[in-house]
Amino acid sequence: MMMAAVGAPEVITQLESAAKVLMAPPSMVSTEQRQHAEHVFLSFRKSKSPFAICKHILETSKVDYVLFQAATAVMEAVVREWILLEKTSIESLRAFLLTYVLQRPNLQKYVREQILLAVAVIVKRGSLDKSINCKGIFHEVGQLISSGNPTVQTLACSILTALLSEFSSSSKTSSIGLSMEFHGNCKRLFQEDGLRQTFMLTMEVLQEFSRRENLNAQMSCVFQRYLALANQPLLSLYSSFSSYILLLLLLLLLLWALTGGGPLGRHYIAMFEATQNVTLKPTESWREALLDTRVMDLFFSIHRKIREDSDMAQDSLQCLAQLASMHGPVFPDESAQVSYLAHLVEGLLSMINGIEIEDSEAVGISNIISNLITMFPRSVLTALPSELFTSFINCLTLLTCSFGRSAALEEVLDKDDMVYMEAYDKLLESWLTLVQDEEHFPRGCFVQPAIQVFNSYIQCHLAAPDGTRNLSVNGISSHEAEEINELQEDDRELFSDQLSSIGMLGRVAADHCIPLLTSLLEDRVNRLHGQLQRTQQHLMASTDLGSVDRKVLDDLYEDIHWLILVSGYLLADDPQGETPMIPSEVMEFSIKHSTEVDINTTLQILGSPGEKASSIPGCNRTDSVIRLLSAVLRTSEVESRATRASLTELLSPQMGKDIMWFLRRWAKSYLLVDEKLYEQISIPLSTAFGADTEGAQWIVGYLLEKVINNLSVWSSEAELANDTVELLVTLVEKRERANIVVQCEGWWSLAKQFASRSPPLHLLSSSVQRSLMKALVLGGFANMDSDTKQQYWAEVLHPLQQRFLSLINQENFAQISQEEAVKQEIVATLEALCGIAEATQIDNVASLFSFLMDFLSSCIGLMEVYSNTPETINLIIEVFVEVAHKQICYLGETKSMKLYEACLTLLQVYSKNNQSRKRSDATAEEDQYQDLLLIMELLTNLLSKEFIDFSDNDEVFRNQEQGTPASSRTVSAADVVLYGVNIVLPLMSQDLLKFPSLCNQYYKLITFICEIFPEKIPQLPEDLFKSLMFSLELGMTSMSSEVSQLCLEALSPLAEQCAKSQEKDSPLFIATRHFLKLVFDMLVLQKHNTEMTVAAGEALYTLVCLHQAEYSELVETLLSSQRDAVIYQRLADAFNKLTASSTPPTMDRKQKVAFLKSLEEFVANVGGLLCVK
Amino acid sequence: MADPDLDFTTGESGASATYPMQCSALRKNGYVVLKGRPCKIVEMSTSKTGKHGHAKVNLVGIDIFTNKKYEDMCPSTHNMDVPAIKRTDYQLVNIAESYMSLMSDNGDIREDLRVPESDIGKEIESKFEGGKCWHQYPSLYKTAHDAAGMCK
Repeated sequence: MMMAAVGAPEVITQLESAAKVLMAPPSMVSTEQRQHAEHVFLSFRKSKSPFAICKHILETSKVDYVLFQAATAVMEAVVREWILLEKTSIESLRAFLLTYVLQRPNLQKYVREQILLAVAVIVKRGSLDKSINCKGIFHEVGQLISSGNPTVQTLACSILTALLSEFSSSSKTSSIGLSMEFHGNCKRLFQEDGLRQTFMLTMEVLQEFSRRENLNAQMSCVFQRYLALANQPLLSLYSSFSSYILLLLLLLLLLWALTGGGPLGRHYIAMFEATQNVTLKPTESWREALLDTRVMDLFFSIHRKIREDSDMAQDSLQCLAQLASMHGPVFPDESAQVSYLAHLVEGLLSMINGIEIEDSEAVGISNIISNLITMFPRSVLTALPSELFTSFINCLTLLTCSFGRSAALEEVLDKDDMVYMEAYDKLLESWLTLVQDEEHFPRGCFVQPAIQVFNSYIQCHLAAPDGTRNLSVNGISSHEAEEINELQEDDRELFSDQLSSIGMLGRVAADHCIPLLTSLLEDRVNRLHGQLQRTQQHLMASTDLGSVDRKVLDDLYEDIHWLILVSGYLLADDPQGETPMIPSEVMEFSIKHSTEVDINTTLQILGSPGEKASSIPGCNRTDSVIRLLSAVLRTSEVESRATRASLTELLSPQMGKDIMWFLRRWAKSYLLVDEKLYEQISIPLSTAFGADTEGAQWIVGYLLEKVINNLSVWSSEAELANDTVELLVTLVEKRERANIVVQCEGWWSLAKQFASRSPPLHLLSSSVQRSLMKALVLGGFANMDSDTKQQYWAEVLHPLQQRFLSLINQENFAQISQEEAVKQEIVATLEALCGIAEATQIDNVASLFSFLMDFLSSCIGLMEVYSNTPETINLIIEVFVEVAHKQICYLGETKSMKLYEACLTLLQVYSKNNQSRKRSDATAEEDQYQDLLLIMELLTNLLSKEFIDFSDNDEVFRNQEQGTPASSRTVSAADVVLYGVNIVLPLMSQDLLKFPSLCNQYYKLITFICEIFPEKIPQLPEDLFKSLMFSLELGMTSMSSEVSQLCLEALSPLAEQCAKSQEKDSPLFIATRHFLKLVFDMLVLQKHNTEMTVAAGEALYTLVCLHQAEYSELVETLLSSQRDAVIYQRLADAFNKLTASSTPPTMDRKQKVAFLKSLEEFVANVGGLLCVK
Repeated sequence: MADPDLDFTTGESGASATYPMQCSALRKNGYVVLKGRPCKIVEMSTSKTGKHGHAKVNLVGIDIFTNKKYEDMCPSTHNMDVPAIKRTDYQLVNIAESYMSLMSDNGDIREDLRVPESDIGKEIESKFEGGKCWHQYPSLYKTAHDAAGMCK
């Protein structure tokens, strides 16, 4: 080598002049000169054993860049020649480097960092073969820290940072030509030991800093290095040190911030957000470090010092929140946990009580509280000294109320950053957690807090004088009507979390809260009634609606809005998929007071929504739960009367929605309450709403009347109409309720009106009409005598059929079909058919299926007629989609076949009509491909029969037909689906796959097909087969991981199919060979998502079974490309081990499982060997 | 305002050119009169002023003759005019000097329409040249829309 030939002084001169060239401005040197200079350094760094000369350079050269290069050369050479070096010479090299830095406090920063990095790399490499004792290093650093000399301490911090950075095994790890495996091992070792040491040392530094008043500027620049750490991609952080490092990094960041390091960047904010969701679960070895109360005290005292600085305050609170989330083996026993928690709570309380909370602290403090309530077991919480626990709950109560008020202010001021709202949400969520576990805590301990929190919530949502809504700090109320678009969520959804918590707290303090809501609501309703009357008189005098002051009305509406929402969340839950029940707290509350209640008066209050509740004698002896419902009914009655007095324009559609929403939620649990579901039942509730009671009948009638009124008055308010029709569906979807509904006259006239498609029902939006049809059909399955039932269907369904048939059977239908009126009639029929399909239940599927089948064939005819109005075509396909979706799972073989046949015909017609259709518009929107999406949905629904099948040999149809022989099967699901794929596939261009919904539906479909009908794949026409295979490859390699996984799952059944058929030259056989290579590369050579290892592994195994020779060839090729003998051997071993348990590979489940297990290990090992950094 | 090149015969005698419909009952892909022009509705959305306000409908429509875009907003309870749209399909019998001979279903021939100067026009010509003259092109000739009295 060049360097070996010349003496040290010459080398230094050469390097220094090369450095001068490199550092020179571009105009001063030529490209050649520059390249030459670069070459000088490159070959210098590659020179063999450059240690002596590097030492010499470091000691004598004055050129920073040369010093930097010397440090780099040392670092690279140590790793390169590690095995050849004497351990003692490595040790002395390390000592030299460290002393070198220590003795030269004025070194250029980048030179010092590089030298320390070299030290870190040496330590890291040495830690692997235990030639260097990490403990020793930390001891040394510890000594530096305790030296009391700021310069030395700063250096110690730099060393720690270098170590942490090097060991964190992420993208910031130095490129020193070591494999991922090595980095991984080091990381593991370090995590066991070094990280804790670093933590302890950092703590010491922190202690040191927290004692100091002022920090000098020199200090602060040291910590810039910490920011580099924070820059590491968060993902790698998650996988490397999990929560420890996050805590640690925050610590380091805090340190950096402490020294006044300047503005914080984006990465920092991302970091901050990421840590909020990570809980701290240290290992046992951290016990000593973290259970030391001084750690926590330190953070509290740091926070006190820096809390005025909003950025730093968030940091220190986040550290505390991390400590509040601590759990796992770090605690030796429960008592340790109790004393840790006690210390934390004490610290927290003294912190909160001593300060006036800053805006920037709200979220942090609520995180601490939320973490400790979520993470510590109830037994630990209750084991706290009772006084401490009480103070904690009191503090939490005050904090919640205060954050709630501040959140309300934020809303008034329309702030972008709603910190108090976020904090309030967190605290309410914590309350919910606490209250749900109420039985673990002292009885009644949450009642008073619940009252306070509940009251303050109500107060914030009511207008003055009772409440503070819209009042800003100085007491001025703001009232501006802003434009609200349809995309904005309703408050009941937007604030559902808050409302759930408040509802739950209201139940805990039902004695207070239910009567409170009742009296507030009754009062508002009376006022609304009065205000509307006054307005009416005013209108009679002036007839100008514009002159009405809406402010008073709007305030009342807003009050009522919130009162109804809270009442709804308090009185009932909205469980998805479970039987809705009256909440036990509400039931108990009603039972507790039932002896003081006069049932007749209660019923009178309930049954007279048109009268003032307070005007009824004995009104204070009523059941409060029923009284609250009555208050909502009174609201509803005032609304109805206003519509009859033509004051609709003055009403609030929002309030109308609230009423419908409440009544629906209420009806699900309370109406016709099923006594069998409850241990104990309240007499007032069962008397008023039980089965076979007058009360229940009355209320069903009342609700029905209200629904009918709403549908005609509010047809122009789509959302309100929707809530209304949903209430109607709720009334009839349970048989017991439907039985009462169909006895009402109003129901029949509604049915007639709808069937005749006359105003006002035909003005409703299409989705409302669909649901209305659904409700009418559901009602038809209530108990009626056969004559009545026949009459009912004659009113509801037959007109639909007759109108439709008489229209399409007209001689000139083809000519008039494009007329708007005709089109509208057709569209209305199709919408109604969708609604009928939606009404399918297991016990009505037989009759509904027969009814719908008659239509389906006519619908196919319409495909021709409306081939140039896509929206009608889509609607026709949608009818099929709905029928398949709702009914196929109940259909027996013969019925399914009928549906398959109909679908097949539909697809044939669709295909014929689409052959000439152009879809080349580059700017086309996703919804222009609605038909494709619908067809894929249809096919997927048909396929779902293969795995969700509730039919029992046509059992549901047994009464209708006597056993048609099953062997006469003409069309199978496979035929239909493959035919459909035939149509869809050629249309699915790569451009279309860019639409996420189309892409997902498409891959879902083709994976299903491969899984369910693998035997059909080889029979596909060549073109279709090719594009299917291409789609699979595309999906595997260049789509989202979800799609990629779907494609991998499709491969196993295909390979199994090949193995079965034993045809060695079939296109499928050849295609699977190609997939073997793809999957092999994916698993062995490429970085892949670990979630996919299982799917890929299964695919690989079946493919290997099928193509053993090709697999061996792939392995051989890979091995032969390895130059390093050690790696070669280890790779070869890994491959042998991989297949050891499954040789020869056969398609056997047990072997496959064994293979998958060894694959996991294989990927971990080989991934490291091959992905060399 | 009418394009002289377009031909609009008046509708059947006495038939009203428009009829009213509650705004909320209008549908996307349906028709409405916006700013005096017959339009196909391409976008429909609702909004309200204040939480307790009533719904207003925002409509975007494309003039069925000129393809110009019109927008309008109105309370959802109000009535809007809907044009009485009648659509007539013609068979192409001949093309002479850029004018087409078109035959309606009852055998009447009209020869007053020029081949449109657009892609559709080119398609008509090329298919006609290709000898497929007896094929129907129901969707090809948009101006055959007959919106009575809309564009005087």
